[in-house]
Amino acid sequence: MAGHISLQYGSKQVDKKTAREPLLVRILLITVALAFLFLFLLLPLAAIFIKAFEQGIGLYIASITDPDAVSAIKLTLLVVVLTVPLNALFGITAAWAITKFEFKGKSLLVTLIDLPFAISPVIAGLVFVLLFSTHGLFGDFLFQHDIKILFAVPGIVLATLFVTFPFVARELIPLMQAQGSAEEEASLTLGANGWKTFWLVTLPNIKWGLLYGVILCNARAVGEFGAVSVVSGHIRGLTNTMPLHIEILYNEYQFSAAFAVASLMSILAIVTLILKNIVEWKSGQHG
Amino acid sequence: MSIQIKEVSKTFGSFQALKNINLDIQTGELVALLGPSGSGKTSLLRIIAGLEEADNGVILFGNEEMTHIRTTERKVGFVFQHYALFKHMTVFDNVAYGLKVRSKRERPSKKDIKRKVTELLSLVKLESFADRYPSQLSGGQRQRVALARALAVEPKVLLLDEPFGALDAKVRKELRRWLRRLHDEFHITSIFVTHDQEEALDVADRIVVMNEGRIEQIGSPEEVYEQPNSPFVYDFLGNVNVFHGRLENGKWRNGDQSDAEQQALAYVRPHDLVIEREKPTEDAVQARVMHVHAVGRTVHIELKEEGAERFLEAELPKEQYRELDLQTGETVFIRPNQLKVFIPADYSI
Repeated sequence: MAGHISLQYGSKQVDKKTAREPLLVRILLITVALAFLFLFLLLPLAAIFIKAFEQGIGLYIASITDPDAVSAIKLTLLVVVLTVPLNALFGITAAWAITKFEFKGKSLLVTLIDLPFAISPVIAGLVFVLLFSTHGLFGDFLFQHDIKILFAVPGIVLATLFVTFPFVARELIPLMQAQGSAEEEASLTLGANGWKTFWLVTLPNIKWGLLYGVILCNARAVGEFGAVSVVSGHIRGLTNTMPLHIEILYNEYQFSAAFAVASLMSILAIVTLILKNIVEWKSGQHG
Repeated sequence: MSIQIKEVSKTFGSFQALKNINLDIQTGELVALLGPSGSGKTSLLRIIAGLEEADNGVILFGNEEMTHIRTTERKVGFVFQHYALFKHMTVFDNVAYGLKVRSKRERPSKKDIKRKVTELLSLVKLESFADRYPSQLSGGQRQRVALARALAVEPKVLLLDEPFGALDAKVRKELRRWLRRLHDEFHITSIFVTHDQEEALDVADRIVVMNEGRIEQIGSPEEVYEQPNSPFVYDFLGNVNVFHGRLENGKWRNGDQSDAEQQALAYVRPHDLVIEREKPTEDAVQARVMHVHAVGRTVHIELKEEGAERFLEAELPKEQYRELDLQTGETVFIRPNQLKVFIPADYSI
């Protein structure tokens, strides 16, 4: 069984001879694809790095070691460290509940999981403003107990959690559905309790799908702009994540500095992409 | 360990899978639950294993009530149709699993586990496959691993859900003989689910025929084959010819169903049909030979009853077929050697 559903195109190899297109068509198709890739992906990526190093390596290093930049990087990493494990946990529980049990409101739960995909991140951010601002639903309570959520780290973490929570669950649900419960049932009849069954049977079976979901979730958590922008308050050195920091630098015409931080994020994205491919390859092997 | 099932019912949504099932299984018996798909046989097996819970009714293992005991503590061996081997573990680890997951106090030492697993692998003749992964084995080998894995925990009851259903015909036959021998050697109370009547007749001590959530008949293979107690059992266990007719003073007459009160159906096995050239009795059934399959020791002959649009099937030994020298298209007379008459409860049949 393939580790990941959307990967199956890789294993379905059409017989090359019978499916061969005329030479001209092939050249044309490949050229179009490559040109598109170059124009819309490689060129902008190169532009980021060219712009970042435009005014010399000195400024590049200064830009990314600037205290505000460092604090933005730290905050982004903190957000990732908090949201990704939580969403991995949530994703596993949700996928488990949806695929192994029958209960009322199951289809509603599946729909709700997709909600963050369906609504704009800005609205997601505004929801938290409505809930936690001084005039919001929990405003009085939070004020009385001196708890800061909005325009502080908890708000950013919450907004990121909201935006990224479908990734792991979406990855695992089709995988676990395809695998069924037979192995778990076999484990139970052999005397293993639920906890042991999860660690010894379920988790090894879903690990590549889980990792894939975690990588996607991670990429989104790092890059989330809209929802975080609404709840962060843009306090420099305190509540600015990397994307927000880049925006501020850009608005202040510090292009090279903006692109220097952007290049860091690009490197992160490329690493994620490579990891993602390794995971795909591995899950294909073990499938 | 004997098993008692008392008044067990089960519904899935609006579908009633089991209706008031009562069944006693003796220690050391090998019982087949036989029925078409949807007859409730797998549900019953899963309830015995604790993988499903009955809506009402009681399950006893020996004198111990098991109804609300979790699967983990029931000490049953369960073999799944599609093996359900742990794909990320080697054959050795699969078989050792049940021993390794025991709590520290009950877990055998590493050496004992290794000895036990090796012993079981040699029992299923897979000693040299210990380091392979399930994906590197054939279907028959996988099912043998699954059996070894189930036996490793020394179950008091062995439950098999269509164990040979996913295998090809030859392997299936081999494995069921092997299961029979295994059972004769170890005498574990075993229940296996199958929809294949030949398999049930071949392997089981006793057959429980199920249909639409009820038990139709319980008996030895001879009993259910020779003395089916309902048209369903007759039909399900082997090929059968149905003649429509009526009862007259306790004797069955073919054809003429004008008097609905006496309407009756006669069931005749293909090998109980006698084909004759001369008209044996006044009301003998006339039929036309449509097709002859002469491969193998028995010859299968397809006939069409004259005056009715019904096909009949007869089986003859080859010698008899040669003597008769039947030609396709010729008209013959048929006479049932042995028949069983059922009065349909429902006139619409």
